[in-house]
Parts: sequence; C-alpha cells; structure tokens
Amino acid sequence: MARQTRRDFLKRTALTGGALALGPFSSTLAQDASPADMCIARFKEVDTKSSEAVKNMAVKLTEQAMANIGGMGRFVKKGDVVWVKPNIAWNRAPELAANTNPDVVATLVRLCFDAGAKTVKVGDNPCHKANETYAASGIAAAAEAAGAEVVYLDKTRFKEMPIQGKRLEKWLVYPEIAEADFVLNCPVLKHHQLSKMTACMKNYMGVVGEPRGQWHQDLDNCLSDITGFMKPSMCVLDAVRIMTGSGPTGGDLANVEFKNTIAAGTDIIALDALGAKLLGHKPADIGTVAAGQAAGLGKMDYHSLALKEVEVS
Amino acid sequence: MTAKRRATLVVWARRLTQAAFLFLFLYLFWALRPRPDGAAAPGSDFFFRINPLAAAITWLASHALVGAMLLALATVATALVFGRAFCGWVCPLGTIHNAITWLGKRRRARRPGADNWTAWQRSKYYLLIALAAMALFGAHWAGVFDPFSILYRTFTAAVYPGLQYSIEDAATSVYHSDPSLGPLHLTAVTEPAYDFFKANLFMHRERQVFIGAPLILLLFAAIVLLNLYRKRFWCRYACPLGALLGALSQRPVMRLVNAEGRCNDCGRCATQCPAAADPDKPGKWRPTECYACWNCVAACNRDAIDFKFRSPLPAPSTAKLDLGKRAMLSAGLAGAGGLVLFRLAPQAQAKIYNHELIRPPGARLEREFVQRCLKCGLCMKACPTNGLQPTGLQAGLEGLWTPVLVPQVGYCDYVCNLCGQVCPTEAIQPLPLDQKQKTKLGLAVFDRNRCLPWAYDRECMICEEHCPVSPKAIYCIPAEVTTRDGRTVTIKQPRVDPERCIGCGICEHVCVFRDRPAIRVTSANESRHTKNQAILSGGSSGWKDLPSDTAAPASDPYGASDPYGGN
Repeated sequence: MARQTRRDFLKRTALTGGALALGPFSSTLAQDASPADMCIARFKEVDTKSSEAVKNMAVKLTEQAMANIGGMGRFVKKGDVVWVKPNIAWNRAPELAANTNPDVVATLVRLCFDAGAKTVKVGDNPCHKANETYAASGIAAAAEAAGAEVVYLDKTRFKEMPIQGKRLEKWLVYPEIAEADFVLNCPVLKHHQLSKMTACMKNYMGVVGEPRGQWHQDLDNCLSDITGFMKPSMCVLDAVRIMTGSGPTGGDLANVEFKNTIAAGTDIIALDALGAKLLGHKPADIGTVAAGQAAGLGKMDYHSLALKEVEVS
Repeated sequence: MTAKRRATLVVWARRLTQAAFLFLFLYLFWALRPRPDGAAAPGSDFFFRINPLAAAITWLASHALVGAMLLALATVATALVFGRAFCGWVCPLGTIHNAITWLGKRRRARRPGADNWTAWQRSKYYLLIALAAMALFGAHWAGVFDPFSILYRTFTAAVYPGLQYSIEDAATSVYHSDPSLGPLHLTAVTEPAYDFFKANLFMHRERQVFIGAPLILLLFAAIVLLNLYRKRFWCRYACPLGALLGALSQRPVMRLVNAEGRCNDCGRCATQCPAAADPDKPGKWRPTECYACWNCVAACNRDAIDFKFRSPLPAPSTAKLDLGKRAMLSAGLAGAGGLVLFRLAPQAQAKIYNHELIRPPGARLEREFVQRCLKCGLCMKACPTNGLQPTGLQAGLEGLWTPVLVPQVGYCDYVCNLCGQVCPTEAIQPLPLDQKQKTKLGLAVFDRNRCLPWAYDRECMICEEHCPVSPKAIYCIPAEVTTRDGRTVTIKQPRVDPERCIGCGICEHVCVFRDRPAIRVTSANESRHTKNQAILSGGSSGWKDLPSDTAAPASDPYGASDPYGGN
C-alpha cells in the first residue's frame, strides 16, 4: 500500500470529507464528464526550422494533452505544493533533446498555477553540474519566467527513505520532492544504451541520491521500485523532439528527430510503452516497462485505457 | 592648510582607494564563475593585466608578449611618477597586510620604536634578479611569489571553499539534528540564511575543494602573520613585484622633501612608516622602499616633511639602491641554477610522460605551457566541475601549482571552454568551443580486472551513458558469458574508441568504483604532444586517415545498425 506522509493523510481526509459533503455538486466541478486516462496529442504540420513554431507547438500540445485528461485541476488542488520534475540531466541546449523541452515545462508550471497551486518548484538531480545544466537546458529561465521556484538540489539534504521494493530496501531520496503534494514527472523521450530508452520511469533517477549509478546493475527492478515509491498519479511525456541515438547524452543534431508529440496520462507504464513505440521498439522488449507492468504499476497496452488521440494545429 | 592636515586627508583617500581595490579584487574573484552564456565575466584577469612582473617574466620565459598585458605599462608609468604608490594604494595583498598590522596592534603598546631600513630589504631584489635570470633561460617561477598569484591562488584554493564549507556544514548539521524549543526550530533561522548564501554568494555552485589547499593556505597565513613581526614583512623583504616597482622608483617625480630647519629628530615619522623607508633621515629617504602612503607626513607635528613634485633628474636621496655587482651576479646564477635543478628530471626533459598530467584543453606543449603559467588558479576557480586542480609535483617543481585535470574530482565539461577564456597569459589557449571539443586531453583505458561487465558479469555502462561525444567514444559489444551457476548470460562489455575519445574524464568520474575507477584517463594521446601518442590514429601528427572503404567504420554504431536496439 502507498506510503503516505502525515500531510498527505490530513489532506486526503479533508478532501474526502469535503467531496462527500459536496455530494452531487462535485461532478459539475470537473472540466469533462469523463476525462481520458491518457491523451496523445500530435501536431499536424509545423516548420521545425522555426524556433517560434516549435515553441508554439510545444505549448499547444501540452495544453491539449492536459485538457483531454481532465485538466491540471484533476491532479493539483488549490494550495498544493507541486514539484515539476523534468529531465534536466545534461549540459545541453534544448535543440539537442537531451533535456525536457523548456516550453513544455513552462506551460506545465502555468497550468499548475492556474489549477490553484500555491508553489510550483522545478528541479532535478542532474548528471552534469546543476548550475550549468539548468542554464543550458533553458529550463531554469523558462520555469522562472512562468513563476516557478527553480530549486538546485542540495547534496547534503538527501534523506534515506524506505523504498521497500523488490531490489531497493531504502535509498537516499530528496525530501522536498517526496513531500510535495504532487510530483509532475515530465521527461523527454530518449535513446539509452542500457535500457534502450529513457522516459518516465527512468526520470525518477533524478529524485534520488548517489550512488544511484549502481542501479544500472539491475535497472529494471530499481526503476520499478522507485516508481512504486513515487506513485505517480499523472505524467507527461515530451516527444516534441526525441533523441534517437548516442543517448542519453546525444550532442549531435543527427541524433534528434521531431515527433511533434506530447502524451499525458495517469498510467506511467502506458506512457513509457508509447515512448518505446515512438523509438521503434516493442514495449515488451523494454525491460523496465515489462518489469513495471509485472510489478502492477500499470499496463503497457495503452489502447486498453480510455485513450484519446488528438490532432493539434 | 598645513602639510600635516593635508596629509591626513591624503591618508584617508589612500585608505578608501585601498578598500576600493580590495573590493574590486573580491568582486572580480566572485564574478569569476561560469555564466549562462558560457562566457567569462569581463575583467576577471584585470589584476594580471596591470601586473608588470607577470608581463615581464612571461615575456622573458616564453619570448611572447601577451597583448592584453601591455596595460602593465600604466603601472610602470605610475612607478616613474609616484614611486611604489602601487604597493601602498592599489595592491590588495598590501591592503590585507595593512589590515593584519592594524588588527595586531596592541591596545597598550609600548612606545613604538623607529623602524629603519636594514640590508635584508635587498633580498627581494635578489629574488627578482633570480626569477628574471631563470626566465631568460626559459623557466617561469614568478607565479610562486607574485602577490596577485598568491592572492588568487589562496582565495581560490582555500578561502572561498573554506567559507562555503563552514556555512554549508554548519547549516547542514543544524538541518539534520533539527534542534527545537517547542514549536521554535533553529532551522527557521539557519535555513533562510543558508539559502541566502547559496543563492547570492555561492551562486548554487557545488563547493570546490582542492588538492594541496592546506599548504597553500598555511603559506598565505605565514606571509600574512609575519606582519606581526615587521609591518608589511612580505612587501619589504620578499615581494618581487615590489622589487620591480622599487627598481623603477629610484628617481620618482613625487618625492619626500625636508623643510629646512624644521625637523627636531623626534623620529615620529619613522614609527609610522610601514616600509622602513627612513623618512626620518633627511637626505637619506629611500624612494625604492617607500609606498607613498603619506603616513610619515601625517605623523609629523612640525611640517618638516612633505611629498613634492620635483624634476626626476637629480637623485632624491643619497640612500641609493646599492645591490652590489657580486651579489647580483650570484642571484642571477642562483636563478639559472634553479632552472637546471628543475630540469634534472627525466620528465622535464621529455624522456618520460606523466600519465597523471592531464592538462586543460588548449594547454600548450608542456614546456611552453609552464613557461607561461602564472600558477594563479583563475582556471581552477572558473572550472565548473572542480576538475582542474593545482599540481603538487606531477609536473615537477617547475610546474608547481599549475592546473591539472583530476577526473576523480571533476571532469572536463564538454560545452565549457572557460579555462582558456580566463587564462591571463594564454598558457591555456582560448579555443572556440567546436575546436575545444575535438581537443584530446588524454585517453580512457578500461581496467578489465575491475570493470563490472568484464570482471563481475554485471551490466553497468555508466561510463558509456555519460560519454559526451557523439557518436560515443565508449561502445559496447554484447558477449555471452557463463556465470558461476552455469547459466549463459549476455553482457554488454564496454570498449574505448581511441579515435573518438577526447579524454574528458567523465567516465572515470562517474565509475561505480570510487577508490580506483575501472576506467581511467591518462595523458596518452593528448593533442598537444606529438610524442605522447600511443595509438596510430587520424588525429596524430604524421598519419593520415585511410580511405573510408578500408578504414574502420566511424559511423554511429547506435543508429540504424544498433545491434541491440530497434526492431
């Protein structure tokens, strides 16, 4: 069962009570009577050479993908502290698709505030140095402009937390992330030599401390365990640009491909399965996805979910 | 206005000027850090540009004049007019010396005695002559003694990291123990203060830490504490920059002039003189020692002395800079002898190459590099990963405190070329980023007896994951191995492509083995040395790439032909 902090417990109790009290009115609050569990938003036509057009695409895709799964209000409550967790791993420019698209991050921050979030924090535990990586990725500037608090993880502040997974008994996790009311996992889709791909599950390597490199010795189980610990209620997969080779660092435009796609959904395994397909794999061939499904974290057959595919222009 | 009252104002003007230059130093030092646009803060090498010692010795040693350092001529001009006013008004190390002297003043001091010139004050000139002679034959050791090098080196290696350590460690121990009195938590105070320092003083940079920092700090502490024995001990007896400026101030335009018949030999002026320049001896004032601080004029109750502008032609005093021909010759020989001493090592004569001596990207050929390096540490302060460290003896005594990449501490960031941008003498050449990314610092080598996929049949590939070049220099070949219990498993075993590896060291930095990494970078194959090349490759000098049909495929091994991806 889910590990919950005291804050979570109190909040949920209050919310449940409130929802019960509201009774029949509560359904009218939802944006959509029956929101989808997952939405794949694709852009129709775009001139990928124009940075303005790409930005416009990233913003619109994010908005549409979110709107079709019930809007950010389905996941973020008024007064919430939200941690937006993009992939900000490498000291690389946005064009190289090594990190999440900064416009996607900024849009998600805005949607969180629109849904009533009190504080939106953005941060990651990068592989390169944080200061340079945050700047080069364009995410620090974009998130700050959207009103988020850009957090540089402090290596001295990780705390050992019980993971109680198949492989990980306990590990250093960043408390500020674990204690947020909602963690919005929003990675970019990339090639990875060992796990073949990196998407939502692997993005959680950015909430834990060293020596996280050891996880490579059993990536499938370690990523299942941390995903089980984080219990995502919703993730966003950025496939505007994806990295097709020399991952996860890339560094060459030849490794970048425009997929003009953003997917959002409540099932992290389904989103990673979609990522696998976009990279040309069968989802079942990806060890982390298979292990995640076996651990009961979700379903790789995303067509069996309430799926919406939309064309955006 | 009497000379005394005017001098009191001048003394205060000097103190303000000193404070301004000290703050300028602290600001430029603080501003020297990677910025979002990848460029160094402007003016980070300002103090080296106005430093005639650095310019002269670098020119002598490397036979190259660095254009930007011609600004040092302005300092030379001030010496010709105002004597060693640079020491008294500008030098931030001199200001620190003054501050320590002031702090060391005892409240109820015994009546201070006159502090007069001694022959030991000649020693700095001999040091300068030795350094110049050494430089003439091609060794650059001025950086060991140059005041700005000392200042930057110490602040980089010890003062700033020490400050950051103190603040971080204090706040972190409070954070983890979380002492509280009822609802009042101490962290409510310490955490905001900590955040403030992180955001504004340390700019969210990870703390730097340097090999050999304690020695650098102890030497600095010794230099500074010697002020308690003699005021401005370093400047009086040892500073080679002070000696150079002193040699230039033998006939300054501004000089100390005695008013006829006013002096009553009370000696007050000499007690206030930090330089032991003998202002109390009419006609025997020592312009080569005087910092033009005006303390003496402000101390005189009878307006007996004052600084006046006079023609530079007549000698201002009978106390000349008399170093002695034999002593000067000896100092020169000592310098040349020091050079020979440096070179009596196989490495100094390029008979062997130190595998640990991985120089920053753009560093010149080793000999030319040490002939320019000021050991100032600007590159180390700028390095975003803390990988650039001061050498101990890896580069011989000649290369003491020069920068070396220690990948276990930090790697060379693929998209950074700051070290070349900030180097005041172009010992590290300012390479454009695309060129820097092709510059090989060394070569990574696997230790197959430690590497997990090779020695322990486990997947790992962290090195491959981090390899920044594209296509990656580290590639993996799947191999079937039989485990202890007889199962056959497929493991991806990593290898290094010497054509692609640039020796940045990130593989070594991230290896799961933290004590002795299973992949290590050595200086072999470094671009700057044609002789330290082990591997026949298109990049090494004298060799050409084979035509592409016979050459090994250099195409992306993970693209369409990805052996374990795709379907």
